[in-house]
Amino acid sequence: MEIPIELKQIIAFTKRDFHSWTTYKALVITQIINVFIGVFSWGVGAAYVQKPVSEMYGSDYISFLVVGIAIGNLIMPLAQGFQALNPWTLETILMTGISTPVFVIGNVMWTYIFSILTFIPYLLIGIYFFHVKLNANIPSVIAAFTISAAILMGLAMISTGLRIVTKSTDPITWAINVLGNLFAGITFPVVYLNTIFFPGISAISWLLPQTWVYHLCRLSMLTNASLLDPKILIQFLEGSIFAVVLFPIGYKIFQWGVARSKREGTLGWY
Amino acid sequence: MTMEYAIETIDLVKRYPTSTRKERPIRGGQVTSFSGILSALRRMRGPFVEALRGVNLKIKRGEIFGVLGPNGAGKTTLIKILCTLVIHDEGEAYVHGFDVRKEPAEVLKNLQAVLPESRGFNWRLTGRQNLEFYALLYGLRENEAKERIDYLLEFTKLKERANDGYQQYSTGMQRRLLLCRALLRSTPILLFDEPTVGLDPASAAEFRSLLHDRLAREEEKTILLSTLNLYEAQGICDRIAILDRGKITACDTPDNIRYMMFDEKIFDIAFIDAIFNDEFEKMVDELEEMPGVHGATPEVDLERNFNGISIRVNKNMDLSGILDVIMKRGLKIRMINTEEPTLEDAFMAITGQGKEQRTWGS
Repeated sequence: MEIPIELKQIIAFTKRDFHSWTTYKALVITQIINVFIGVFSWGVGAAYVQKPVSEMYGSDYISFLVVGIAIGNLIMPLAQGFQALNPWTLETILMTGISTPVFVIGNVMWTYIFSILTFIPYLLIGIYFFHVKLNANIPSVIAAFTISAAILMGLAMISTGLRIVTKSTDPITWAINVLGNLFAGITFPVVYLNTIFFPGISAISWLLPQTWVYHLCRLSMLTNASLLDPKILIQFLEGSIFAVVLFPIGYKIFQWGVARSKREGTLGWY
Repeated sequence: MTMEYAIETIDLVKRYPTSTRKERPIRGGQVTSFSGILSALRRMRGPFVEALRGVNLKIKRGEIFGVLGPNGAGKTTLIKILCTLVIHDEGEAYVHGFDVRKEPAEVLKNLQAVLPESRGFNWRLTGRQNLEFYALLYGLRENEAKERIDYLLEFTKLKERANDGYQQYSTGMQRRLLLCRALLRSTPILLFDEPTVGLDPASAAEFRSLLHDRLAREEEKTILLSTLNLYEAQGICDRIAILDRGKITACDTPDNIRYMMFDEKIFDIAFIDAIFNDEFEKMVDELEEMPGVHGATPEVDLERNFNGISIRVNKNMDLSGILDVIMKRGLKIRMINTEEPTLEDAFMAITGQGKEQRTWGS
């Protein structure tokens, strides 16, 4: 059976980015070293903190933190991969007449594959050196990663669509990222916000897409959360709402950005 | 939809917003409705500049058509509209019969554009790897792509350097790789925006011959070429249009454009061993009175040596009558030269860049 051309085109993007990546030898080495340094530094720091996170995930803090870092490294680069698009390349690639979904997926695929490759050593180091206790439910992990990828690609497309027009950073993505760093529970469970600040503030967290990315991934990796459990399923459905809303909005904003830029004649501008 | 022409534009208008804000920014209380806010925001974008002001072009199939114009005339805008990278504001544009605004996918299947600033190559990949990437984006099958890439690398004399990194390529090689990419898919129409800028004279000549002899004449492709190089336009274009401040000010064959502003040519004759005497003075008068002669200027030095004569004549005049008059006087001719207006003369006159040179050749 002939491989569909769309799939071949996505492979072409991936191969291009892989070839390009392998030519940056110093970068390859530093990226690999960063994986080890990152997990050690966070792990050591966390080993001293040792705050219980049993309230949300029934797990210890080091497991919570290492899994969080691994998730961050797995999924967050999706947004960066798409944003790093060169306007000159954008013009040329748009002239090939490929479809927008191929363009979008093709541009993040290598970043995602690389993230998966670095995700594994994070977990292995966490398990062997810091005694991270994983209690993963594979179908839930797959569902969580899929929902997370859709959410982050939606955000990436919103950001890129706006940046194609503004030619600089866009305030919406900046605000989401800043709020995410504060309230998404990257290094601590969001319920702590109620203790740190004031009761009820953690409600803000659940309005942020990043919170759901971390929450669903941790739920599936630390608590053996089964999708057959109605309580878990509802949480996954809630997270899916962000994906269902953000992905098409991102797609539309990206198309709007390209069309607007074509009208203003600024597509090839930095 | 008009299938008669490869490219057709009808009253094409393109305006770009400028960043200069003439209106004052919105203040609280100034706008009371949503539409008011929108209109205030639009005003904040400042005035528009018209890059194209009603451009009408009809480019025939298989033709090499040049668009000439000074910087900022709208050449790149026109090309980018045709390859769907810029959306026009008014008028219509068709490529191979397809509307560029309504059917961009069909347009892109029928043309390839070589825009110097839109290289789109990955500097860390080899020339071949870059071409393989684009071949897949164009939907070529692997075998087909390989054959085509091999052929194009040979065709553009890049085969030996195909596995070198793109960043190691010279400007000429980068330009040739652009051409390879444009030819990966065989499309009937090719657009080139200033293709020889930055090339050394030999590479530019080679590139022009490639466009003219191989692509246009052998493969019968329609080529739209935007250029600042008048010599290039005169040498390879079947027809040219002069675009000035967003308007087509002339559109014809290079020869016709050359004579559009000037209806005369200069006939220079150099003599051997002649002294300027009364008889020759009478000859000059006789020449000036001939129908079709606009003026005759003898070249006489301080020692009264009659070195030659410069005669301004009608562009279609039969010059044998002039030679008869000269030969009757027994003058020995060392050299005859005819100076015709160049495309540059016409271009300068049409675009108003050489107002002081309305009479050329002086």
